Amino acid sequence: MIERLLERARGKVDNADTLWRREEHTSVAFESGRLKAAGISEETGLNLRVVANGRMGVAGTTAAEPDPEALLARARASAELGEKVELAFPTPSPQSLPPIPTYFDRTANASLDDLIRMGKLLVERLARPDCQINVAVEREIAETAVGNTAGARGEYRATGIAVAADITRIAGDDVLMIYDQYVGADVPSDADLEMLVRSIEMRLTAALTVVTPPDGALPVVFTPAGLAAVVLPLEQALSGKTVLQGSSPLAGKVGEKVFDERLSIIDDPLTPGRPLSRPIDDECVPSRATGLVEHGTVGRFVYDLETAARAKTQSTGNGRRGVFGKPRIGYSNILFRGSGGTNGSREPTHGLGGGLLADIADGLIVDDLIGVGQGNVISGAFSHPVGLAYRVQRGEITGRVKDAAVAGNAYDLLKKIGGFGSDGRWLGARWSPSLLLEGVSVASR
Amino acid sequence: MKDRLAAAVKKSRADYTEIRVERTWSSAVAFRGRRMETATVSEDQGGFVRVLNNGCGWGIASFTSLDELPTMVTRAHELSRAVRLDEPIRLAESAPQTRDAVLELDGDVRGIALSEKKKLLDRYNSAMLSVSDLVVDTQSSYRDEVSEVWFVNSEGTSLYQLRPEVVVSGTAIGRRNGTIEKGLESIGLRKGWNSVQSFDKQFAVVAQRAVDLLSAPGVRGGAYPVILDNELAGVFIHEAFGHLSEADFVYENPQAREMMTLGRRFGKPVLNVGDNGAASGLRGTLPYDDEGTPTQDTPLIREGILVGRLHSRETAAKLGEQPTGNARAISFRHPPIVRMTNTYIAPGKKGTGFKDLISDIKLGVYACGAFGGQTMLENFSFTAGWGYMIRDGQVAELVKDVVLAGNLFQTLDRIDHIAGDFTWNQMGGGCGKGGQFPLPVTEGAPHVRIEEALIGGDV
Repeated sequence: MIERLLERARGKVDNADTLWRREEHTSVAFESGRLKAAGISEETGLNLRVVANGRMGVAGTTAAEPDPEALLARARASAELGEKVELAFPTPSPQSLPPIPTYFDRTANASLDDLIRMGKLLVERLARPDCQINVAVEREIAETAVGNTAGARGEYRATGIAVAADITRIAGDDVLMIYDQYVGADVPSDADLEMLVRSIEMRLTAALTVVTPPDGALPVVFTPAGLAAVVLPLEQALSGKTVLQGSSPLAGKVGEKVFDERLSIIDDPLTPGRPLSRPIDDECVPSRATGLVEHGTVGRFVYDLETAARAKTQSTGNGRRGVFGKPRIGYSNILFRGSGGTNGSREPTHGLGGGLLADIADGLIVDDLIGVGQGNVISGAFSHPVGLAYRVQRGEITGRVKDAAVAGNAYDLLKKIGGFGSDGRWLGARWSPSLLLEGVSVASR
Repeated sequence: MKDRLAAAVKKSRADYTEIRVERTWSSAVAFRGRRMETATVSEDQGGFVRVLNNGCGWGIASFTSLDELPTMVTRAHELSRAVRLDEPIRLAESAPQTRDAVLELDGDVRGIALSEKKKLLDRYNSAMLSVSDLVVDTQSSYRDEVSEVWFVNSEGTSLYQLRPEVVVSGTAIGRRNGTIEKGLESIGLRKGWNSVQSFDKQFAVVAQRAVDLLSAPGVRGGAYPVILDNELAGVFIHEAFGHLSEADFVYENPQAREMMTLGRRFGKPVLNVGDNGAASGLRGTLPYDDEGTPTQDTPLIREGILVGRLHSRETAAKLGEQPTGNARAISFRHPPIVRMTNTYIAPGKKGTGFKDLISDIKLGVYACGAFGGQTMLENFSFTAGWGYMIRDGQVAELVKDVVLAGNLFQTLDRIDHIAGDFTWNQMGGGCGKGGQFPLPVTEGAPHVRIEEALIGGDV
């Protein structure tokens, strides 16, 4: 398809690139412990970008038999209104693409019964008389082809599977919700599922007692899940787009030490076994890792072709596109790493808090905040009620706290990190350990 | 198309079969700062099949290739048969409907040149940028669509709906050295081109606010009496209560059912809440939901007492109540689930105004506008766009980062005054649930006072 489309485009526009993707999803859903539904979805999409008379335009279609002429005409009409850009479309790569496994036969060949079996295992292991359990298992098989008029081509197949469980426990007027998931390119082993069970049980057990929240500027351990509010501002600020627009607090700070010197943040599309890993991005740029923050110092921002051209730099291979819009900057897998210093024990711990609680006289573990992403994120300031949080007193978890709100500024808090937990794990496309941050504002009634 | 779907339904071997096909024409323009990002026209189409067999679960298939329709009906049937259930899924009675329901297009967006849409958005975007040099960045977008939806089921329902939508939104980013603030305007209507022509002033106002917030202090964390403006009060009721009234949360959960027993008191007698999918011309308005049930005005809280909830056919059957027309899907890619439409707090006594709410507050917060909200059912957040301190019954200084922490049982019950100045807040964006975002919804409310609410911030 993409050959035919690029052939049509050649001569009619200055340049073009395109993405074709076919996805097939199979899912099973357990509601309140019962298997309730099974579903499939199939979708094929084609996205075309052109540069015509120096201006950029895009068009996309989900039609089964897309008409290349019609798509090209729409892209050209879009380009008539588009901005002038000088995109450096990648030429064919002299080396072969990085050999990253993205397709796992076990995942692709998993039958509906296999998916049901995984869900059932979780439901049975997590069953408690006072809890309602929902489990969803979803498997994806995707084929992607990218190409451009400069001759670059890329093609790969990928698999992904997500197994998500949530538990709701209602006791009188107390509502407790706990969620966790396994996400990978390969099917989870029984040990992976067992880890998921233990992770939920551990948080549930510690949550059964409700205690009064503390008040004041306190040490807070943000678990990998709880960390979202702290890392979201950084993800926005490290985007080349935000930097170009002048709204990134990190603009102009490449090479400057802004964070604790033990903190490194990497975007790595070549991590084996992750669903977002890929040999080539959606704009034909071969994949490679990018050091966003290296030992506390701002390293590189991420770019796609368009923002790279405007910033007079190279794309970092972070072009991501859907069927309808133009390519945008997207992270692949983001890894938060601590190095040196008090890094907890090297042995991975599965306890809440990642081994960071010992020195906390009075503080919190934050596992989930409500409303993340809805404030003035780019400024680094966050303020959220806790969704799931625990009080820590004299190094021990004493129970769950409710009706408390946590506030701070990501940039201030990450200047000095109290400790990196030994509980590093994947959560979707982000890998991180728990972080101990000092002086977080905790307000309660 | 209806005949084609009816034929496919007829061939289905399942006990119940429904087919939904959508064809959506849309166009979009986006600016970032002075630069236009994209101007595109798109066509998206696809189908959704859902079947049910006695003693079995739902079998579901969605697809972009309509030629596959007969195959997909068969596959959905097989999937349903693979899900064995002891307790069967029942669907509440819903009288068969046959109708073409065409909503008012108010200037058919399909007939307007893309260049005109670019010009309109450029105007709004420039209105923000020209406020001050401190406005360093903007994100503006225009999006319209006309969606054709066919729905046919094996009980004799056969519907065609034409649903228009237009959304214009803009974020202004103000920056002075290391301080960055934003102002947000967003207008979303189930209408067309004519309805979005005169918002220049609103866009300039939010850009000015982003600039003003640069010199505003953050609100101090703690518990305060709080007055919510109309927009935030709407988001509040959506998050605080709306999601709890969605019956899929309670129908399989005995403890939840007990917590949400009809007749339970949730608020003072001033509080009246409902959800009205049949209200005229709003973004959450639909003649029929995505199971073919007509929409309606459903009272949820009357004089502080829980009196109703929102249903799909499945949840209504389970609880022995009536379907309310709240089974909605964001597109053919998803099954219908229980969702809100246009959710509102009914106005208080006519003539009661903001001044009646503020006059006896010594120290409090007037929280305005909405960046968003999220619920975990008992606890929820709602984020104001900006706020003012209230001192001695007067609106005082501007404050920023106003995020309220709510508790279902405490916060609703602490609403002690509701003004008579009701408005619908027709925002863009939408509601997210079960991986389906953004669903077009509207919220409406007057000014509302909460005796005491927790606000996060430095302490």
